[in-house]
Amino acid sequence: MNNKHLLTASGAVVLALSLAACGDDGSSSTGGGSGGLEGASITVGSKDFDEQLILGNISKLALEGAGADVKDEINTGGTDVTRAALTSGAIDTYWEYNGTAWISFFKETEPIPDRVEQYQVVADRDLKENKLHWLQPANFNNTYALAFPSEASDELGNPSTLSDLGDLISSDPGNATLCVESEFSVRDDGLPGMEKTYGYQFPKNNVTVLDTAIVYSAADKREPCNFGEVFTSDGRVSALDLTVLEDDKGFFPLYNPSPVFTDDVYSEYGDELDAIFDPISEALTQEEMTALNERVSVDLEQPDDVAKDWMSENGFI
Amino acid sequence: MAGVEAPEIPEVSSDAGAPVGIQRGSHRPTLLEWLGMPVFLAVIGGATYFWVQSRELDSIETRVLTRDLLVTRTIEHLQLTAVSTLIVLALAVPLGILLTRRAARGAVPVVLGIANIGQGVPSFGLLAVIYVAFGFLGFTPVVFGLVAYSLLPILRNTMVGLQQVDSNLIKASRGMGLSPTMVLLKVELPLAVPVIIAGVRTALIINVGTATLGTFFGAGGLGYVVFNGIQLNRDTILVSGVVLVSGLALLVSYLAGMAGRLLSPRGL
Repeated sequence: MNNKHLLTASGAVVLALSLAACGDDGSSSTGGGSGGLEGASITVGSKDFDEQLILGNISKLALEGAGADVKDEINTGGTDVTRAALTSGAIDTYWEYNGTAWISFFKETEPIPDRVEQYQVVADRDLKENKLHWLQPANFNNTYALAFPSEASDELGNPSTLSDLGDLISSDPGNATLCVESEFSVRDDGLPGMEKTYGYQFPKNNVTVLDTAIVYSAADKREPCNFGEVFTSDGRVSALDLTVLEDDKGFFPLYNPSPVFTDDVYSEYGDELDAIFDPISEALTQEEMTALNERVSVDLEQPDDVAKDWMSENGFI
Repeated sequence: MAGVEAPEIPEVSSDAGAPVGIQRGSHRPTLLEWLGMPVFLAVIGGATYFWVQSRELDSIETRVLTRDLLVTRTIEHLQLTAVSTLIVLALAVPLGILLTRRAARGAVPVVLGIANIGQGVPSFGLLAVIYVAFGFLGFTPVVFGLVAYSLLPILRNTMVGLQQVDSNLIKASRGMGLSPTMVLLKVELPLAVPVIIAGVRTALIINVGTATLGTFFGAGGLGYVVFNGIQLNRDTILVSGVVLVSGLALLVSYLAGMAGRLLSPRGL
């Protein structure tokens, strides 16, 4: 009889203690020295595709966990709309890829091969020109790759690298068919640059331009193409059992996303934000991000559930 | 990426099913009417050309704004528009004639209902559904989508055009001994031409605009230029694409309008 009472009593004490700890200040109870965002009002945005929805929810949970009052504008729109929302101050933060900033916002054409340098140049320039703050980039990169259905490997001559594609193009041009999104077909860091680096060219009529999302299923069905341009962190690559060709000449630049903040918020809470987001970015490895993307794109789970699971599994909330 | 919006596509009024733009009391076109639109298009085209020429183009812009690429994409776009509009004409005009015959009156709500669905569904979604249904991509499924999308205006206008023919005229013609077929060919259809042509112009404009989505489904067309301009944030590419698409829409509508003028019976 007493045992039961004892348990209840001790439970109450633990509860009371933890409540006190929370009420205390918060900073002592949560990890990473975060929690200093009480009173801050931050609007979180994101672009409109799966990976971005997950990242937006991660930001939202992290900021809420630190005590900020978060307004949810996740799924703001496409790249242009989301960027415009940030520069106009309609949102305070979203995750942007440094490659996108480099090519689209700054209108550069040649990527910088070194990933740290690429990040630094973009961060410096956006701070100087637009007073926007790029936090440390996430560990994973989202860059271009070419992939084909694994089951077609024998028929395509078992290619494993982009260089192997050159052999296929010369020996069996009929099978060297490629689906790409329109952007990839004209970017210097896309198809034109890749063909130049590897010294071959797909036959002109073998390249089909499609919507980004359709490229995956088109390559999977091998209609109208055997090879598709994919993003390395996309969940569908493994779900559809596509084999990614190794970029053996290291042509495709590695583009990492960072949380980008407006000056209004960052100038006031910069240290806290760094302390909150740097460990998160560190923990977002290629494997982790791909697995999260797969849960949303393939298993059709909700991005906010997926983000919440990941944040609590990793002890961020 | 999936929910792409294309504000640059020429807007088409949502009640495209209603007969629009009928020109009554027509006379032979004056010189201004003949030349106004071509001159306007030439001025806009020329201005765009010189504006692009005066800009310093980066490698992405140079790659898209080549004569070869623009000509290829324009031809693809014209093929999509022309083939789909011809198919719609071949389907919708006979269907419209059939539905205005007394015997087929019961089928009117059914057929119009189906045609309404075709136009009611958002165009990108319609093309996506057709891709899933066909299982392959390219010219044919996109033409199929355009046909479904632009069937309604021609069908509706054919029906309205025939219905508004004064019944006294038909009675008089019958009284003069013309067979029903002769009445249709000699009286009803000629009198309906202005309304039908108005439907054709609506369908053409819808098709030129919607064909920009062909680039997402492997059918090429000028959407390639427009959406590259949007995605890569290059104004020169975007403006060139938009000028080409809207110029094309205005041009085909103008040509159809002029053809309608010449086909309409005198004195109307």
